[in-house]
Amino acid sequence: MDPSEVEFLAEKELVKIIPNFSLDKIYLIGGDIGPFNPGMPVEVPVWLALNLKQRQKCRIVQPDWMDVAKLEEIRELERKEATFTPVPSLYYMELTKLLLNHASDNIPKADEIRTLVKDIWDTRIAKLRLSADSFISQQEAHAKLDNLTLMEINTTRSFLLNSLNCMYKLRSNLQPGSSTGKAQDY
Amino acid sequence: MPCERKPMRYGHSEGQTDVCFDDAGKYVVTCGSDGDVRIWEGLDDDDPKSISVGEKAYSFALKNGKLVTATANNTVQIHTFPEGEPDGILTRFTTHATHVTYNSSGSRVAAGSSDFMVKIVEVSDSSQQKTLRGHTAPVLSVSFDPKDELLASASCDGSVVVWEIEEQTQVISWPLLQKSNDVVNSKSLCRLAWQPRVAKLLAVPVETTVQLYQRDSWALVSTLSEDFGTQAINVVAWSPCGKFLATGSIGGLLTVWDVESKLCVERQKHEKGYTVCGLAWHPSGTQIAYTDTEGCLGLLDGLSSSSSPIVAAKSAKPAPASYDDLFDDNDNDRPMDEGVSETGSPTKNPDALDDEDDDDLVPATGRARNRSAFLDDENSLDTGSLKLGLDKLGDYDDDAGSAIVAPVVPPPLRPVYEGPMPTTPQKAFQSGSTPAHLMHRFMMWNSVGIVRGYNDDRDNAIDVEFHDTAVHHAMHLTNSLGHTLADLSHEAVLLACPGTDELASKLQCLHFSSWDTSKEWMVDLPSGEDARALCLGLGWAAVATSTLMLRLFSIGGVQRELFSLPGPVVSMAGHGEQLLIVYHRGTGFDGDQALGVQLLQFGRKRQQVIHGEPLPLSRKSHLSWLGFTAEGTPCFIDSEGVVRLLNRSLGNTWTPACNTRDHCKGKSDHYWVVGVHENPQQLRCIPCKGSRYPPTLPRPAVAVLPFKLPLCQTTTEKGQMEEQYWRSVLLQNHFGFLSSSGYEIDEEGQSQAQKEQQELLMKMFALSCKLEREFRCVELAELMTQNVVTLAIRYASRSRRMVLAQRLSELALEKAGQLQGEGPEEEEEPLQYTRRNPGIQKKSQDTEVHGEEEEEEDEGHGIQMDEGDAAESRRQRLNPFAKGSPASPEKPSPKPVIKEGRVNPFKLSGGTGRSSIGGQPRTTNVLDSMTSSSRKPTVLMGSSISGGKPSKTAVLKPLTPRPRSKTQSTLLHMSASKEPCKKPAEERESSVDRLKPTEEPLPIASPADNVENTKPKTGFQLWLEENRKLILADNPDLDETDVIKEAMGRFRILSADDRLSWTERAKGDAVDVKKRKRAEESQKSGPNDSEENSAKKQKPSDTSAKLSAFAFNKN
Repeated sequence: MDPSEVEFLAEKELVKIIPNFSLDKIYLIGGDIGPFNPGMPVEVPVWLALNLKQRQKCRIVQPDWMDVAKLEEIRELERKEATFTPVPSLYYMELTKLLLNHASDNIPKADEIRTLVKDIWDTRIAKLRLSADSFISQQEAHAKLDNLTLMEINTTRSFLLNSLNCMYKLRSNLQPGSSTGKAQDY
Repeated sequence: MPCERKPMRYGHSEGQTDVCFDDAGKYVVTCGSDGDVRIWEGLDDDDPKSISVGEKAYSFALKNGKLVTATANNTVQIHTFPEGEPDGILTRFTTHATHVTYNSSGSRVAAGSSDFMVKIVEVSDSSQQKTLRGHTAPVLSVSFDPKDELLASASCDGSVVVWEIEEQTQVISWPLLQKSNDVVNSKSLCRLAWQPRVAKLLAVPVETTVQLYQRDSWALVSTLSEDFGTQAINVVAWSPCGKFLATGSIGGLLTVWDVESKLCVERQKHEKGYTVCGLAWHPSGTQIAYTDTEGCLGLLDGLSSSSSPIVAAKSAKPAPASYDDLFDDNDNDRPMDEGVSETGSPTKNPDALDDEDDDDLVPATGRARNRSAFLDDENSLDTGSLKLGLDKLGDYDDDAGSAIVAPVVPPPLRPVYEGPMPTTPQKAFQSGSTPAHLMHRFMMWNSVGIVRGYNDDRDNAIDVEFHDTAVHHAMHLTNSLGHTLADLSHEAVLLACPGTDELASKLQCLHFSSWDTSKEWMVDLPSGEDARALCLGLGWAAVATSTLMLRLFSIGGVQRELFSLPGPVVSMAGHGEQLLIVYHRGTGFDGDQALGVQLLQFGRKRQQVIHGEPLPLSRKSHLSWLGFTAEGTPCFIDSEGVVRLLNRSLGNTWTPACNTRDHCKGKSDHYWVVGVHENPQQLRCIPCKGSRYPPTLPRPAVAVLPFKLPLCQTTTEKGQMEEQYWRSVLLQNHFGFLSSSGYEIDEEGQSQAQKEQQELLMKMFALSCKLEREFRCVELAELMTQNVVTLAIRYASRSRRMVLAQRLSELALEKAGQLQGEGPEEEEEPLQYTRRNPGIQKKSQDTEVHGEEEEEEDEGHGIQMDEGDAAESRRQRLNPFAKGSPASPEKPSPKPVIKEGRVNPFKLSGGTGRSSIGGQPRTTNVLDSMTSSSRKPTVLMGSSISGGKPSKTAVLKPLTPRPRSKTQSTLLHMSASKEPCKKPAEERESSVDRLKPTEEPLPIASPADNVENTKPKTGFQLWLEENRKLILADNPDLDETDVIKEAMGRFRILSADDRLSWTERAKGDAVDVKKRKRAEESQKSGPNDSEENSAKKQKPSDTSAKLSAFAFNKN
């Protein structure tokens, strides 16, 4: 899966905007949106919010969790816990990137938020690498990881699968015996 | 003799301060948290000498030209006095010292510290230290015994300890104080004091009292307390003679006691009521210097010299001793004495005066307190009390004033005015603005946009931003005139600034919607007249000024009418042609504001709608928002958060419609309202956490609150429905107002609201029925419209409440009669709007074919709905209906009879015997359709709004035909009111003609409806028609509801392509369908089928369907 595809999926998340135009409800396949009243917050999908924002038709209201204090709390928790902690949004990374890239003027302390989210991301990815490492070094057959987001899984998927395959090949070559016997092990 | 309270001087920055006199009494010395020690040559000294001793000075002591200070660098330092040269460090602590003091000779210094220790150091040799350990919390204060043997200390651990200095042991410890963890958290500084010279007594301030302990026996000798002292005493200080004790309290009360007699001889209040934290007697005993926590220095002067009390004490020693015992009880046990004595004393007055002239002592005259209280009354002329013998007293005071001995110094027991206190009138404000003193503020936030004002070092500017950028682009203005008031409308921005010495108050209008090139005008108000409030309406602007004048301008800048206001304006609001003014009607008392309100209407007939009636605010609150709802109903919000709307249908009363404080999470949270909308019911506001006003940054987000009338028992079903009903009635008032003042109204919304009300009434009716409250039922029925009453009658008769049904039918007749009579008059009574019956026509139609058909159709949809989502509600309500269903009771009105024989268009192939099951569902369906439709008002609203293009939605959603038909069915009694919409030309005609024109459009309207309804609208319906038989064959015992359910299930199983094809077919016109059906029919044979066919043919025998079928048959 391409990161851009994950991002595409994230764009269906809802976000609040404050439109500066007036429009009746619009009926889309994915659901009804609106009505739009100038000055009144309304929930729309991210893709629409960004589109409207680019046309300067709205201001984006940051999601609740996109707040320095809350993110700091999450970061501390993430650093403290050995396992993955629940994230504020399943698309936190994508949303942060999208919203901050396109609407940083509507989000106070955008830079701090960016740093914090990056910190959280780094911590989680480090954990992910660590667990992958122990997974491989202990030669486990399966492992369970909770609270991972799609993007995080996606970053490690191709590499992990490929390397597991490679290692499997190497190991099966190392040990004398038929490949069928190996297959039974796994 | 009262002392003189000198005005206070600013000495130090805010924080802990201390004060003392130098040995000679020449200087007053103070220290404060700014780290300076100041030496004042007197209170009038404008240039006190400052010695900087450290970052902060907590306490200091002065004796023999040596100044000892406790500073923030954890040391106790010595400076020379008055030169201020540093003279070394006396001792150190691990944290800062809290109190330092000299012994009487000045040879030793004691210091208490926050590290729980007390140290005693020889001034001459700082290596000679004694440390007293034992406190378990920071030490509050220390005090040397004048005989230099003992030391008393108080600590935050709540104890007061007397130490033996040489042995460094505790002599005694009393747990007297409230515990705390630090000096700053302690309630009182608890400065202890030993009686000078004799060293007999130790004074300990304990809460509001001072306790005196006897040396050696350590018994509590006496307690000095005031009956009305409510504030903890912070500091005590003995007069140099040891006879008087001065106390200073947290609340700024300074009291001087005669310790011997335990009388309060002097009482002064700190002029601002700040906490007194330093107190010192002048060596002569005539002055007391004090400092407060705000860093100010004050002086009480003119206290009687220490010599005279001594003389007096000497001469009167024997007498007071005995009298003291006498009075003890009185003083301690009779707090009520004050009041009694105040009135009683004048009669005793001459005696008292005589006594004093004879140079007798106060205690000897008895009731000393009373008398001194009385004397004080006379001396303090400002109290203005008039009493017997005033003149005489005045004379007496003049000649003998200074001669009076100290104990006579009257304690200031002033007659306090205890009646209602006037409230300071609230200042004028613009609703939707934040306070003017803020650097960044909202000057206006309303439904049009936001005006922000910036006033900091860099910028003095105004930003105007519109919610809807289609109105105008954002503007940035430099605020060179210093505007403080602003209003914003779709046409213009109005700004005003207060006048200065040189410049007059100005009004500036940015008329951006002007079609010419000059978009701005400015007007100077006459000199001395300041703009206080302003507002914009449609085509006009209004300014209320400080001269109680209201000036009207046209939006282009033409001066129009002006008139005087009855009081200073508080706020104004404009909407369309209405102007709402709130002003001060008079002085409010006890925190209430006395506000009056005027509502004016310009436009064609100019009139005053509300003539300065009182504005009903909550108790002890002020106005915080004033304005109109988006629909034009006046509305205001007070500081308690209660939103009140004008109820025009109830004689312009104000109805509380919401309390924003109910929605607040925290106590200090508020909602800052920016707009009120009646349709939809919304209160738009900004949640402010921990404040009343939102900050400009980060940009606050608007939240929406619902309305809720504060009706009783809204937790019960009944209360809930009542609340909903009356809320709907209240918020629907604007329709009547708008239509009466010639505006277009949202007919859809109006009928929606009326329908909702009728539904609620019907639900309440059903509830009351269930609870056997028939009288209440009738009362509810009185609120219903004619045709809902008919429903109610049917309901009543079905549930075998014949008495009720009888009464209701009478009521229905009465209503019908009223309508007939009212019709012609309706024109003259524009305010009748609230009860305009949408179903008036129903009755007249009933005899006609079309009317019947329409109802029939409604029934059909009712059933369909019933089958759908009302199924569960029917189960709940089955009982009342079930009662009525088996028997068909006597029909109170002819209408049900007609309906009885109705057929259901959806039961085309209902082979299972329509008549047998038809009865029961139908009885239920009418009501069920109401309940279920109201259960999903959102769906309803959405679909009815989009009603303009119904076919489109139907095609888009082939699987959900229900919302569509539900709209139809819930329009049950709306059909009549819909007709006027369709014939707007006839709409405005008088209601006399109403009956006629509505009959006419019916044939036009109903065919259209019928075509829509009878023609299977969706693929599913088509499919159902074809497959009903199949389903029935499979499950012969299914009833109507289950058939549909089953059918739904099957239809969903179909492949997408199949479904699509059905949808496609549905799109085809009705004729297509008909054709296909006929083909099907022809395939069928047998007598049963033909019978059914005939029934079927009758089924869609709506005029239009018939016609269309006929037309195509011809071909």
